[in-house]
This record gives sequence, C-alpha cells and structure tokens, in this order.
Amino acid sequence: MIETIRKLAEAYGPSGREEDVHRIVLEELKNHIDGYKFDRVGNLIVWKDGKSGKKVMLDAHSDEIGLVVTNIDKNGFLRVETVGGVPPHPYVGQRVKFPQCTGIVYVEGETSQDMKKNFSNLSFDVMYVDIGASSYEEAQKVAPIGTFGVYDSRFMQNGDFLTSKAMDDRVGCAVVIEVLKRLNSPNNTVYCSFSTQEEIGLMGARVAGYDIMPEACIAIDVTASSDTPKAFKRHAMVLKKGPAIKVKDRASISDRKIVDKLIELAEESGIPYQMEVLTMGGTNAAAFQATASGIASATVSIPTRYVHTPSETVHLDDIKNCVNLLIEYVQKGV
Amino acid sequence: MYLKELTEIGGVSGDESRVRDFIASKIKDKVDETHVDKLGNLIALKKGKKNGKRFLLAAHMDEIGFMVTNIEDDGTLSFSPIGGVDPRVVPGKRVKIADKVTGVIGYKAIHLQKKEEIFKVPAFENLRIYIGTDSKEASSKLVNIGDSVVFTTEYREENGRATGKAFDDRAGCSVMMDLIDNIDRYDFDVYFAFLVQEEVGLRGSAVIAEQIQPDVAIVLEGTTAGDNPEVPEYKWATHIGDGPAVTFMHRGYVVSSKVVQNIMSIAQKNGIPYQAKRRTAGGTDAARLAGTWRGVPSGVISVPSRYIHSPVSMIDLNDYHNTVGLVEKILDEGEVFFK
Amino acid sequence: MDIKKILVELSNTDGPSGYEEAVLQKIEKLIAPYVDRTWRNSMSTLIAEKRGNGKGKLGVFAHADEVGFVISKIEEDGFARIEVTGGIDPKVSMAQRVKIYTRDGATSGVIGFLAPHLQKEEDRKSMPHPDNIFADISCSEKRIRVGDVSVPDVEACEINSKISGKALDNRSGCASLIWAAKMLQKIRNEWDLYFIFSSEEEIAGPGARTIAYELNLDKAIVVDVTHANEKVPGYPLIKLGEGPVLTVGPMVDKSFKDKISEICSRNGLKTQIEPAPIHSGTDADEVQITRIGISTTVVSIPLLFMHSPVETVDPKDVEETARLIAVVAAEMEV
Repeated sequence: MIETIRKLAEAYGPSGREEDVHRIVLEELKNHIDGYKFDRVGNLIVWKDGKSGKKVMLDAHSDEIGLVVTNIDKNGFLRVETVGGVPPHPYVGQRVKFPQCTGIVYVEGETSQDMKKNFSNLSFDVMYVDIGASSYEEAQKVAPIGTFGVYDSRFMQNGDFLTSKAMDDRVGCAVVIEVLKRLNSPNNTVYCSFSTQEEIGLMGARVAGYDIMPEACIAIDVTASSDTPKAFKRHAMVLKKGPAIKVKDRASISDRKIVDKLIELAEESGIPYQMEVLTMGGTNAAAFQATASGIASATVSIPTRYVHTPSETVHLDDIKNCVNLLIEYVQKGV
Repeated sequence: MYLKELTEIGGVSGDESRVRDFIASKIKDKVDETHVDKLGNLIALKKGKKNGKRFLLAAHMDEIGFMVTNIEDDGTLSFSPIGGVDPRVVPGKRVKIADKVTGVIGYKAIHLQKKEEIFKVPAFENLRIYIGTDSKEASSKLVNIGDSVVFTTEYREENGRATGKAFDDRAGCSVMMDLIDNIDRYDFDVYFAFLVQEEVGLRGSAVIAEQIQPDVAIVLEGTTAGDNPEVPEYKWATHIGDGPAVTFMHRGYVVSSKVVQNIMSIAQKNGIPYQAKRRTAGGTDAARLAGTWRGVPSGVISVPSRYIHSPVSMIDLNDYHNTVGLVEKILDEGEVFFK
Repeated sequence: MDIKKILVELSNTDGPSGYEEAVLQKIEKLIAPYVDRTWRNSMSTLIAEKRGNGKGKLGVFAHADEVGFVISKIEEDGFARIEVTGGIDPKVSMAQRVKIYTRDGATSGVIGFLAPHLQKEEDRKSMPHPDNIFADISCSEKRIRVGDVSVPDVEACEINSKISGKALDNRSGCASLIWAAKMLQKIRNEWDLYFIFSSEEEIAGPGARTIAYELNLDKAIVVDVTHANEKVPGYPLIKLGEGPVLTVGPMVDKSFKDKISEICSRNGLKTQIEPAPIHSGTDADEVQITRIGISTTVVSIPLLFMHSPVETVDPKDVEETARLIAVVAAEMEV
C-alpha cells in the first residue's frame, strides 16, 4: 500500500489536469472492479457490484493544489496565480514541476526594504518563477500561459510517518483503492469517484453523484492535525489515533445517521477512531449532499500535518484503520 | 451588430425583460424555436439536420446597477448595488429608475468638503439619487422600493473603438445575435441562451443544464482588460486589440483542456487572432454549467473590455468582429467538440 | 392550543443544524391532524402534504434548525473548546449556560467569562476571539465528546404579549406553517400544498434545495425571519407587529410577489416590504435556481435580536403570516 501511496502522491495532477492520477488509479484497480467510466467533467467513477441492491459511494479527489502560469516577461520569467486558493508561503524557494520543465519560485525586491515588505505581505503579485529560460519565446515553448504546475517534492518515509506533496488527497485515493482491492464480493454495490477540481470549489463532485444517487456517500479527505508545537488549539485531531469521523467543517455537517453508524461499527470491530470538528475548510461531502434530491453524506478524514505544503505528513496506522472502517461501512452501513 | 441598441437598454440583474424583449423581437424569425424559462432566460434553438448532439452558446443579458432600497423623507432615493459596483464610479452620474424616471447621483460640492473628505471613498449608504422632488409623497408617486436603477451612457464608436455601458455582457449577446443573423443549419442542434442574473451569483445559468442538456457549451463574455498605464503589464488580464480572450481557468472552474485546445486550434487554423486570458479572478456561467446536472464541459471566449462594471467601458471593434468570426468557425467545426 | 404555546414549545425544543430531529418530531405531531400525510426524505426533511386539486404544487418552506455550538476539543481539567454552527456574535454568548447533547443524553456547561477584577486593561477593549472562548464542562456528570452539539440553555417567555426565547429564527416560521395548516381545515386549498420543514439553513446547507428538487415544485414560498425595529441606513424600517414582510430582489419572482400583495390587500392583510438587491440570505436563494427554476417568493416574520438567546417575535405577526399562506393557497389561481 505504501508504494501505491508513493506513486499517487508523486503523480502530477493539479485541478483540471488529473489524467495521470486517474491512469495510476486504473492500473492499480485492474481486476479489482466491475467497471469504470469517465463522466462529462472528467471524474473517474469505478464500481464493484454487490448483491443487496443498495448502493454506497466513496469519494476521494484526484486533484491537488498548484500554480498556473499567467504571464511571461521578456527575459523568460513566469508570473503565476494559485490554483486552489493556497497562501504563497510554502512556495518561497520551492521547486515547481510543470509538464515540460521545472522552475524555482522566489520573491522580487529591488531594495532590502522592498524585500522585507514583500516577505511580510507575501503574495503571488511579488513572486516569479525561474525556469532557466532567457527569453519570452523560450519560456513560451515549454510553459505557455495556462500551464499548470505542482510542488516538485519527493515521497519520504520516516518509520510509519509518510510525507509527500499531494497527500491531500492521494492518500484518500489510496484508501479507496485498498478498500476495493480487499472487498471480495461486496454486499452493497460500491461506487467510487476519483473526483476532479475539488481544490477550486468541489467542482467535480457537484455532478459525480447525479446518475448514481447512492443510499450514502463518504468523502475521504485529509484534515488538520493539532499534535505539533503550538498547534491550532480548537482542533482535537492528531495522528495515530485513527481515522477522524467528521461532524462538521465550514462547508457541511456530516449526515448524523452515517456518523452514528461509523461510530457503532468502529466500536464493534475495535477500530480506533477519533471525532472531528474542523473550524475551517470543506470536503466533497458538501457537494454530494446538495446533489439533486440529496445524497446523505459524511466525511472520514486522515489527520495530516502541514496540509497544502510540499511535506504533507500522515501516519500509516491511520490509513490502515481508515481502510478497515470503510470496509465495515460499505459492507454493513446501509 | 446590435451593440448600440443592446447597451443602451437598461437591464439590471432580476429586471432583464426589456433586453429580453428586444433580443426576442430580433431573433424570433431566424431560429426554429424560442422560449422564456421560469427564471426569465431566453432560449433559442436552431435545429440540427441530424438529431442528436447539442451545442450551447450562452451570454448573460443582465448588467450591474442598483436597486432603490428606500424613499427618504426629502424625496431622495437610497440605493444599493446589484452586482459588483465600486462606489468610486458612482457620484456625479445620471441614472434611470424603472426605465422611466431620470435621476442624478450628486455629491457635496468640493468647496464644502473638508480637505480630508476629498479622497474619502464614498459609501453607498450615504449616497442618494435626486429625482427633482422634495417629499416622500411626491417620489412615491414616481418610484417604488425595489425598482432597478441603471447608468444612462450612450453608445459611441470612434477610431475603431466602442465606448458605452454594459459591454459585460451585451457584447456577448450581440455576438450571439450576429451569429443568428447568418447561421447555417448544422448537423447538431445549436442552442442560444440569453441568461439572467449572472452578476448576482451565476443564477440564470444554474437552471440551464437541466433544461437543455447540452453536450458542450461556450460562454461568451465581455471580460476585464486591465491594460492601462497604472497597471504593470504582467498584471493585465487581457489587452484590447489582441483578439478574443480564451479562458483556461477562473474562479471555481478549470476549463476542460480539450475545449481550450479546440478553440485555440480553430483560431490558429483560420488565422483569427486570440489571446489567453491572463488572470484567474472572477467567474462566469461556465462554472455553473460545468457544475450542474451531469456537468457540461464549458469554454469561455470573451471580448476584452476596459473599465467594466462602470458607467463607461471600452472595446476594440476588431476584437468584437474576431469573436463573431471565431465562434462562427467553432460552429463550422463543432463536431470536434463532441469527440 | 394557541399560537403562543406553539412558539414557546418550539423555541424550547433544541435542534441545531444537522440535529433537528427533536424539533421535527414535535412539528410532525402538531401539524399531522391538519394534513393528509407527513413523511421524511433521505435528507431528514419533514414534509406535510395537504392535497388540493392536483393541478399545481406549492411548497411552503420553513427551516427547522437553529444556530448553536459544537464541541471541537476536550481540554484537560473539565474544559472544552467550541465551534459555532451558524453566525453567532460572541457578545451574546459570553457567560451563558448551555445544554450539551452527549451520546448519553443532555447535560450542562457554562461558557465562562473572567471576572473584571482579574482582567487586564487591554483585554477590556475587545470581545474575545472564538479561539479564546471555552466551555466549562466540569459541571457535567456525563462524558462529553468532540462533535457533541450544544445550544443556549434558556426557556422562552412572554413579555407584554410578545414571545422571547432562542431559536425563534425560524421556529416562528415553523409555527406559521402549522397555523396555516390549521386555518386551511376550513378553507379549501386550490394548490397541492407541501409544508416543508428543512434542515441546515443556518450553514447554507442542502435541506431546502434538495426537497425542492425532489418535489419538482411549481411555486415556492420561503418563510423565514427578518430584522425588526433596527433602522439600517438606506433601507425602510421594518416594525414588529406590523405584519409579514415581502422581499423584493432577484431571488423573488416579481409577478408572484405582486399576486401575493394583491391577495393580501383584498383580505385586509397588512404587509411590509424589504429590498434584497443581491441575496435574501434565506433558502430562497437556492430554491429559486433548483432544477429548471422555481417561481419563488420570500415572506419574513419581523424578529428582534436575531441569533441571540433572546430573539423576540410578536405572535400577531406569526398569525398573519399563517393567514397569508392560507389565503394564497386558497385564492391564487393554479
């Protein structure tokens, strides 16, 4: 499973450009699913037939945050804007991978005062990307306006701590893949969406459930973790205590019946879990809840340190326990 | 080209009927069907020769403006913006209320202001429309709370440029009307949706996908330019005169790369100038179309416009004609969008 | 049962967003005698149907949820951190006893506030930030967990024939629907009427839009509350006791609103007017743009001190709102 996580997390897949990730997902799922399709906005939807006549859905988004080239100057330096509304801080001095080249992000400033000001009010307005081009034409060839980039970051394992860019939400993709691999003749039919464009506003998930309308849907995503020095004090989530059953974030309140069922199943099977209230953010569950006549939906999260940085860090135990909990749910939850 | 007539009609979000009536009167004999839906969107259909695929073109009819929110004791009107209007473009303008009453938005004379007041940003809650009356009773005979208020700028062409109000998005409406004037019959159905309530949250387009169920959509817009001497070139969104702007991403939606590629290669093949829109701020109805029903892959092509959301905006007429030309070619080669 | 009693009873029942079950049960009991049937959909929305002549469907919406709190973290020594559900001003939350719903039933907590003697001078200048607010749960004998929901612990009362209590946003709306159903026992409604008690309005959730989709309504009246006796510069003053308020704005079908105005004046029913240039801030904003569009209007009950534990309404306004619904259902042509 670690290898799957590595492959997925290192893949290039900013919002709207998820093809590589979907290809890896399909390779992993070969012989483990009964069918798949790409819908009209690029969501990959796979399924495994059950016998109960009921449908349950799992969702993990396949995109990651990134940058997009918006301008190129005459000396070949790029200007960028954010894809996914992330603050620019993690990008300072960071390498960014475009499909045809790699660049370095840095901050402009003609005087030391400028530099100080630009660093303290950091924004992409005062940042540029150096791709080693020396003219507009040269840059335009390899990174034309509209090219998307992601952190250039390698997967790393520290004991059972796993670190990479894009754990948000490739770790969710890996969890869903593992659930499908381990489900032999499922009770309920399981649909899984590897949704596009979550980071820019839950775009793909708004339509992914429309033709399926399952009895229930669980979005698997990452959540903040408060087990680092002076971490956010209103959050309870920590690594190693199991998957977090979300009650609320800023976009949705998890369906109460699903939450109760998840707790019941976790306690029955002795799977460690924690409860989550996130004072920010949102997941695809909000989009599924609002689909057509409504899909009862909840979120199960993998606590993650340093979300939206090149070093998103998760713990293997939480991932394994998340898989166990979801298998229980898709078998017995609806 | 219908830019003069279209931009001089008032049609604030939620009160688009006059724009709709004008468009309907001009297009109804040139298409196979028109109808007005429950929200007030005007939908026209040019049927295809073969039954099957549906190509949607969409532009919004509404413009930014104001609503009368109260009639004050002195007969002046309080008002609040509909859509994103900067209060700094409002004082000293003439407006029309409910398409009948003329008013002016005055401001205390410079002589009477303290020095520090001159550069203060006016607040909508302190601005009033004067309609020549001196009592609540007198004003109440002329206007109602909830009436819409629009700027009254006349359209003008000079030196290859057009100035006027509401190019966002009467430019898109006019492009669609030009297309309808000369439209061929294609294999596929072509739907034209003239939409309401874009400026208040992409609302008209929210009910379109479910009704028409299109296979692909192209949204036609009048979009921001930003190419003025106070803005460094790398912050421009578009440059007027460089051709229609093709959007690769904006708020809430990364445009399907297939759609972007198709648009750009059709432009290249036909020698039509175009530019990539270089900023990602702002949204269009494409985000709604992609995110409702089963999702509609949607592109955005815009006529670059300076100073939008103000009483006077500016476009280059070549950009306008090139937009019409580009969309015509897109329809001619429409089949590639269904692959 | 009179309208005051209904208001008090509904105000005293607790149902923060996503946890409306107790409120819905109470409403179901109250409305059932006056309608043909009641049911719940997959999103836990309560629907009460009163058939008309079968030619058109009119949905009358009132959200059943209220603003509240949710426990986000358990601290040591009997304290907890909290997150708000919906927009609550910290000024009306300080030094407030709250009810907390644990898995083993309701218990108490106190949102504590430091005595003036111990405050620092600079702290007196501003309200505490939500991050610095805490609930003291040491007075609870029950185990409180992350995700447990909470509301102010107050009982509604009568003040000079007005009703004051928590959650009158929007239990007043709910009461007006129940009362309208009661009035319609004697009047025959032309429209097929659906009284809809939906969830999660306070977090802009999916309750109203999903049932609007499911029922495929022709027309919708969204009943909510609005600020009374508060002069907002540039806006007309809405007064308590002066009758229901009709909204004008893009989310309202003007011809529908005009028709309602006409029916009201024919029936000697006084209404007030409220302009909403962009959003109404009610479920109408989403209901109008459901499916192929729904002709929608907003009717509001004047209310004082919104989102506080001392929200206040005039029962006459609630009755008049009920009468408005009844006469529209009876007299408007399908």
